[in-house]
Amino acid sequence: MSTAAFVILGFLLFCLGLFGVLARRNFIVVLLSIELIFAGAGINFIAFSSLWKNLTGQIFTIFLIGVAAGEAAIGLGLLIALYRLKHTANVDEARELKG
Amino acid sequence: MTIGWILLSLMIALCALGVVLARSPISSAISLLIGFVGVAILYLALKAEFVAAVQILVYAGGILVLYLFGIMLTDNEALRLTRQTHLQAWPVFVLILVLFLAVGHKLYHSDYTPQQPARLLMLTDQSQVQALQNRLAQEAGAAQHATNPQRVARVLYGDYLYPFEAASVLLLVAVLGAVFLAKKDV
Repeated sequence: MSTAAFVILGFLLFCLGLFGVLARRNFIVVLLSIELIFAGAGINFIAFSSLWKNLTGQIFTIFLIGVAAGEAAIGLGLLIALYRLKHTANVDEARELKG
Repeated sequence: MTIGWILLSLMIALCALGVVLARSPISSAISLLIGFVGVAILYLALKAEFVAAVQILVYAGGILVLYLFGIMLTDNEALRLTRQTHLQAWPVFVLILVLFLAVGHKLYHSDYTPQQPARLLMLTDQSQVQALQNRLAQEAGAAQHATNPQRVARVLYGDYLYPFEAASVLLLVAVLGAVFLAKKDV
C-alpha cells in the first residue's frame, strides 16, 4: 500500500472524528470521537516512520498514546462533574460556565 | 498482500463510521475497540511491534474500560430516547465532506519521498556532514540485529529522555485534575 493511502486513511479518521465532535449530543461519544482523531494522527506517524526508516514517528506515537490517556482521565472527570450537576451526559445541557 | 491492506483499511474505516453513527454509546465504544485492534494490526504490519503492543495494552485495556465505566455511571433514559445529533449535523456533514474531498485530493497528489535527515540540513561544514553520515550509517548497521523494542528503547531513553519525563509529569497532572473535577464538594 502506498504512503498516500495511509495518509488518506488517517485523514478519513480525522474527518469522522471531527464530525462526531461537532454533531453528536452524548458527551461520551464526543470523547470517543477525539480518540478517533488521535488514531488518525498515529497512523500518519507510523506510516512515515516506516517509509523514512526513522524511529522518531514511533516514539511520538507512544507520547500520543500518553496524551490520549491523560485526555481520557480529564474527560471522564468532566463527564462525572457534568452528570452530578445536570444528571445527563447531553452536552446541550451544559450551557453555563458556573454550575 | 494488497487485498489484506484493503480489507484492513476498510475495517478501520467502518469501525470509525460505527463510532460516529451508532445510537448507543456502548455500541460506539465496542466499535472503537475493534477499530483500535485494526489500527494495532496496521502498526504490526508496518513493523512497529512495540507501538502495536502499547496500543492494545493502553487503549483496549485501559482507556476503553475507563469509557465503559463512564457510560455505566452516566446512563440517562431521556438522553437515550432523544435525537442523538445536534441540529447542525447536516451542515457539518456537508462542510466536512468538502474538506475531506479537497484535502484528500491534495494528499493523493503529493510527493512523499524521504528528505535528507534534519540533522544533516543544520550543518554547513562538509567534514561535519561526512562525520555525521558515517555515524548514522554505523548506528543503522548496529541496529540491524536489534529487535524493534530494543531500538525504540534506545531512542526513547536516549534522544527523547526529557520529553519522556515531561510526559510522566503530564500524566501526574492529569490524574490530579481528574480527581479534583470528579470529587464531590467542588
